[in-house]
Amino acid sequence: MKRFFCLVLLACVLLCGCSGSSAPVRETVFCMDTVMDLQVWGRDAEEGLRKITEELNALERDWSATSGSSLLAQMNRGEAPALLPWQAELLERVEGLSRRTGGAFDPHLRALSEVWGFSEETHRVPTPGEIAAAMEQPQWDLGAALKGYAGQECAGILAGMDVDRAMLVLGGNVQTFGDKPDGSPWQIGIQNPEGGENLGILSVTGTVSVVTSGDYQRYFEIDGVRYHHILDPKTGYPADSGLRSVTVICRDGLTADCLSTALFVMGLEQAADFWRESDDFDAVFVTTGGAIHATEGAILSGCQYEVISR
Amino acid sequence: MKTRTWILLLAALLVLCLGLSVFLLRPREADLAEISSQGRVLKTVDLHLDQEFTVTTPEGGSNVITVRDGKIAVTQANCPDHYCMDRGFCGGGTQIVCLPNRLVIRFLNRQSVDAVVG
Repeated sequence: MKRFFCLVLLACVLLCGCSGSSAPVRETVFCMDTVMDLQVWGRDAEEGLRKITEELNALERDWSATSGSSLLAQMNRGEAPALLPWQAELLERVEGLSRRTGGAFDPHLRALSEVWGFSEETHRVPTPGEIAAAMEQPQWDLGAALKGYAGQECAGILAGMDVDRAMLVLGGNVQTFGDKPDGSPWQIGIQNPEGGENLGILSVTGTVSVVTSGDYQRYFEIDGVRYHHILDPKTGYPADSGLRSVTVICRDGLTADCLSTALFVMGLEQAADFWRESDDFDAVFVTTGGAIHATEGAILSGCQYEVISR
Repeated sequence: MKTRTWILLLAALLVLCLGLSVFLLRPREADLAEISSQGRVLKTVDLHLDQEFTVTTPEGGSNVITVRDGKIAVTQANCPDHYCMDRGFCGGGTQIVCLPNRLVIRFLNRQSVDAVVG
């Protein structure tokens, strides 16, 4: 009989293990013109959340292109604000990523984004003359880089604290920190550009950034034509590369954010070649025809897709 | 103890385990959406119960939320951009957001993902 009780006890212990994950501290923050869903697990979770919220607000203050007092706005007015070393380094890294992508990602599209009305949500189709003039006028806009950088900075802050793990969703950008207690990968759904169910599920482990650029995120329609917000720096028009979305998985958040935009502009073929020459990211592509292509390092499930190999 | 008693006990345990696993692993009928306003969760709605209600904020924001056929949508809103309404009826995917009125509709339990990118 004793052994029977041991068995029952063992069963209880095993079953309890099923529900043993602690609840996170969760907060919704409105920042950088978007919604951020922050979940942190661990002893310092509250403190960690407070610190990363502060960091997000500070980054917005410095780098928002819309606020007149930001560093970026000052630089766009031709002033030369004193930059701290890390601020100068960020701008340098952004320029470096622009060079690396052959200009497919360009952090100087503020004027162009303005004539299309994407910065102030006053959508209109500009004339070719307006577009040409805006392209002559390089102005800083870190809209395609800042959230990725912010996620990575937040993960860095949490790394110095007693925090087990975190899931930070910064307006559609995902930043993970740490691992789940059972060691299973984070499961990240990829938004279907058509809406509805997730397209597929990406599995990632540890601290990583996952960023999507898609034509469905911000767009407007005039006379039945759809104009989306990912502008091709070479033409000045919304990129027409045969893609609906690009998701980049990368250990570095800034790189993930900039590359997702760049690969969208490049289109599938050129982006695949770019991936073959790189070793720091993986990507999932959704074409306008609805086909899904994933580079061989991306662990994708729940959908049919073609693998892009080296 | 006799061998037969043991077999009976083990069989009983097996049946118990099977019953429990069927119960624990049953398909989740209720797909849920959590509605929060200004960062605070207001309510969680079952997407299989058709309903309609209005969420208002002290600043004068107003969004009418409709649940129909397992999907949820913002069907009326006094925000300037109406992005929230443009999403239409959704049964999953990324959250529906009305930034001007600080309203967020988040999907729970769908395909058991930790987050949605996009």
